[in-house]
Amino acid sequence: MQPVSSQSARHAGILAVAFLLLFVIPLSAQSLTPHELSPAPMHEVVDDFGRTVRVPPVPSRIVSLAPSLTETLYALGVQDRLVGDTDFCDYPPDAQKKTKVGGAINPNLEEIAALRPDLVLVTKEINRLDTVRALETLGIPAYATDARNVDDILSTTQKLADLLGVPETGKSLAAELRSRLNALQTSLQAIPPTRVLFIVWTEPLISVGRDTFIADAIRKADAVSIVDSAQDWPQMSLEEVVRLQPEYLVFAASHSDSASRDFDTLANRPGWRILDAVRNRRFAVISDAVNRPAPRIVSAIEDLAHQLHPSAFPQAPAPEKPAGPATPKQVLPATASPARIAGNLLTSAQENSCAR
Amino acid sequence: MSTAARHPLPGDAARASSDVRLSVEQVSYAYAPNPSQAPLFTLEALSFQARPGELVAILGPNASGKSTLLKLISGSLEPLSGRIFLNGFATHSLPVKTRAQRIALVQQESRLLFPARAWEFVMQGRHPYGGGLRFESDQDIAIVNNALAQVGASQLVDRWMDKISGGEKQRIILARALAQQPLLLLLDEPTLHLDIGAQVDLLESLRRLAMQNRYTVVVVTHELNLAGEYADQVVLLQRGKCLRVGPPATVLQREILEQVFQAPLTVEMTASGRPRVTLFSNK
Amino acid sequence: MRPLTLARLFLRCGVLAAILFVVVVIALKLGAVQVSLYGLGKDLINVLLHRANSLSTDYGMIVLDIRLPRILLGIVVGASLSVAGASFQALLRNPLADPYVLGVSSGAALGAIVALIVESHLNLTPDVAGLITPIGAFIGAALTIAVVYFLGLRDGEIDSTTLLLGGIITVSFLSAIIMFLMTTLSGSNLRGTAFWLMGDLSTPQPRSLLYFLCLGFIVAASAIYTTASDLNLLLAGEKEAMHLGVDVPRVRIVVYLSASVLTGLAVSVSGAIGYVGLLVPHVMRLIFGSDHRMLLPASALGGAIAIVIADTLARTVTAPTDLPVGAMTAAAGAPLFLYLLRRRIA
Repeated sequence: MQPVSSQSARHAGILAVAFLLLFVIPLSAQSLTPHELSPAPMHEVVDDFGRTVRVPPVPSRIVSLAPSLTETLYALGVQDRLVGDTDFCDYPPDAQKKTKVGGAINPNLEEIAALRPDLVLVTKEINRLDTVRALETLGIPAYATDARNVDDILSTTQKLADLLGVPETGKSLAAELRSRLNALQTSLQAIPPTRVLFIVWTEPLISVGRDTFIADAIRKADAVSIVDSAQDWPQMSLEEVVRLQPEYLVFAASHSDSASRDFDTLANRPGWRILDAVRNRRFAVISDAVNRPAPRIVSAIEDLAHQLHPSAFPQAPAPEKPAGPATPKQVLPATASPARIAGNLLTSAQENSCAR
Repeated sequence: MSTAARHPLPGDAARASSDVRLSVEQVSYAYAPNPSQAPLFTLEALSFQARPGELVAILGPNASGKSTLLKLISGSLEPLSGRIFLNGFATHSLPVKTRAQRIALVQQESRLLFPARAWEFVMQGRHPYGGGLRFESDQDIAIVNNALAQVGASQLVDRWMDKISGGEKQRIILARALAQQPLLLLLDEPTLHLDIGAQVDLLESLRRLAMQNRYTVVVVTHELNLAGEYADQVVLLQRGKCLRVGPPATVLQREILEQVFQAPLTVEMTASGRPRVTLFSNK
Repeated sequence: MRPLTLARLFLRCGVLAAILFVVVVIALKLGAVQVSLYGLGKDLINVLLHRANSLSTDYGMIVLDIRLPRILLGIVVGASLSVAGASFQALLRNPLADPYVLGVSSGAALGAIVALIVESHLNLTPDVAGLITPIGAFIGAALTIAVVYFLGLRDGEIDSTTLLLGGIITVSFLSAIIMFLMTTLSGSNLRGTAFWLMGDLSTPQPRSLLYFLCLGFIVAASAIYTTASDLNLLLAGEKEAMHLGVDVPRVRIVVYLSASVLTGLAVSVSGAIGYVGLLVPHVMRLIFGSDHRMLLPASALGGAIAIVIADTLARTVTAPTDLPVGAMTAAAGAPLFLYLLRRRIA
């Protein structure tokens, strides 16, 4: 009837294109940002993601994205080269003074980039592959470790020592840790393992699965977790725990607890009293070092073994062994009195579960 | 838009002057919630024809099938049997856009989700003449202005639709239908929410527009006297059955109206030859 | 009478685009690492002149390789969600409809998670694998909107209240399934999923995905825009629109599919960012009216502005730790949502 539609159709086309161009133009701007950080000769290593990473022979500006890696760097005595770590890297206390780059799951890439690191260390366990990929696109080498058991922790320590150019320190540290573990095994050989429930979190009740390094650490202390789950952090029903009746409850607590709540609070909760271990006050509190796949875990294993099997160690109380040669003074008191567990069970569990 | 304005005469002149535009032929319909059940409602076969400039009123009590018949004519329902032709094309099988260029439907009320101005609302009537995305041409604007003028609502052009009276709103809705430049103008109880003055105004306008623009107008209404006064033809329905079709004087007769509406009444003829119905109370 | 003309449309979009540009420049400046406005300006000019090599090296990487991609991602996500929201509001005749409220975002999230699980069982090249998530998200979004649509039907017409209730129920049902998947499957692919579900832009996306995202946005938004006038009439109801010449079934399928594409793409890269798709079209409607020829581009630009602002806040409020941008939009959006609800716009 009227010759309107063809004209307005053309308008529509022009309009649509113009409106969408608004979004395309800025996008094309980003395709021209080449970066070459250091022209120094690189060597290639394969990390635990199976990726080939090009790293400088002696990395000098390292960012650690996991508390366990931070601890390992201190244990290897290369803390001076650590330029940044996460909000949760609190051990040794000196690590808290490093530049913080955010959490392990959501680190701030800007902060990392601003530190101009030549190596970023991540763990397969708590960091995201996305973070690694992002660092890759920025041209920052990221090396991933993955320790699924105590032996892995020792070999990871050695790998990191090699990577950072201190292979000898790594060798002696690993040897020392291994000899302590062997000594422990010898002492405990004749004793049947204790059945324990390792408590990560109380509300809801979270324990550890059989494939975690924590479960392996428990085994090394001549104990066995009653939880046989393929999940890493299984949520347990109290009923199931009552049915399995662990001989001991094991808590991991940070040594800096301010007591606000003690074991009795937990013991007085309905349900928990049904547990023999609770009625008989049979529980062990070990350092939260057990939650981190770092050299310090050996001390926690020894501590747990001493608490569970005092008869095997005539020279009680538990020995305090250094975690590594580089950090002789930074080992925490291994035993906490029942009254001190107290408090921060919840808080420490929270920290542990989200930042290991 | 055609034809010189004619003096509004009773419809015989118009009917004689041109061909049949709307032809309803033995149309029936049945409504059932699902095919296996007996239909809840049936419209029995009925026929009538209308020419350009004619105003047809569909009368009947509630649930007599008035709105169903209107939906059938508009093409949004498909007849069970029979056909409805508009200038020789079956209304149901017209493409949506073509149908909207030829048939304009004014419903009881138009709901608006977000406020709109009167001219924006009337401009919707131009939609069938453009694509899914179109911008108003000068011609569209002229047609909208003209449509508003024809219903005497030019002064409302920039008012918000939710801030005007029911009668004004009805006129804007009618203007939108005019902006569609249809051949067939359908109205579903347009007088429902109007006071008596506005009702007369509206029918007066319809009568005039049908003559001027050569529309064929079909109005569903309850108002016997408005139908008697303004319609060229009346279709009287009761419970899905077409009782009578024809000029008001032949349809609006006492016996049949008393039977349909179950109330005593009288019918008298006015000076212009139109029937006037008066209802009595039962007691 | 002031009908919308192309000139006026371009003018208004130009103003919004200018605001967006200013917001982007501010967002480029702000962040955990301090950048001077002068250095930033110099870098931007260098980039525009294609002299990428002469960038001030320290911040070039932070601004151009970290902030800019994140901001661009935010722009596309914000525009997608807002256009999807405006379309759903028109199509469902419900001012409270948006991808998040209707559960479409949850459906997309579930689709993305399922795609991740499937992907981990297939050996795919990273580029192909990257595209599986958006496709899964789109399928999830499309299925969800179909289900919610039928839940919202009452006597053949969409009923506002029923639709919203259907959306709420769908959201909780889908969340339950997502929880189930997340607890039973602990593959390393799912790490950070909880964070992503909150709505998160901090994860840089591969460039190929970013282009794919832009392409998807352009195609889907254009498809919706071709129905802009139809959407205006749909506001009056499907039957009435049909009488005015709108091919309702065609418009419905075009807009549903396109809006699902937009939601799926946005969710696959940024998780479920709430309220943007709901509130941006409302604010734009208050400013520019409810004409979709204006509303759709305005919502796209407005959504981009809103997300860039929200994400800049998320980056800076608790720096160096990032907040999820979804938490930011929810914090700002929920009160506004309630306000609109109380004003009985619904």
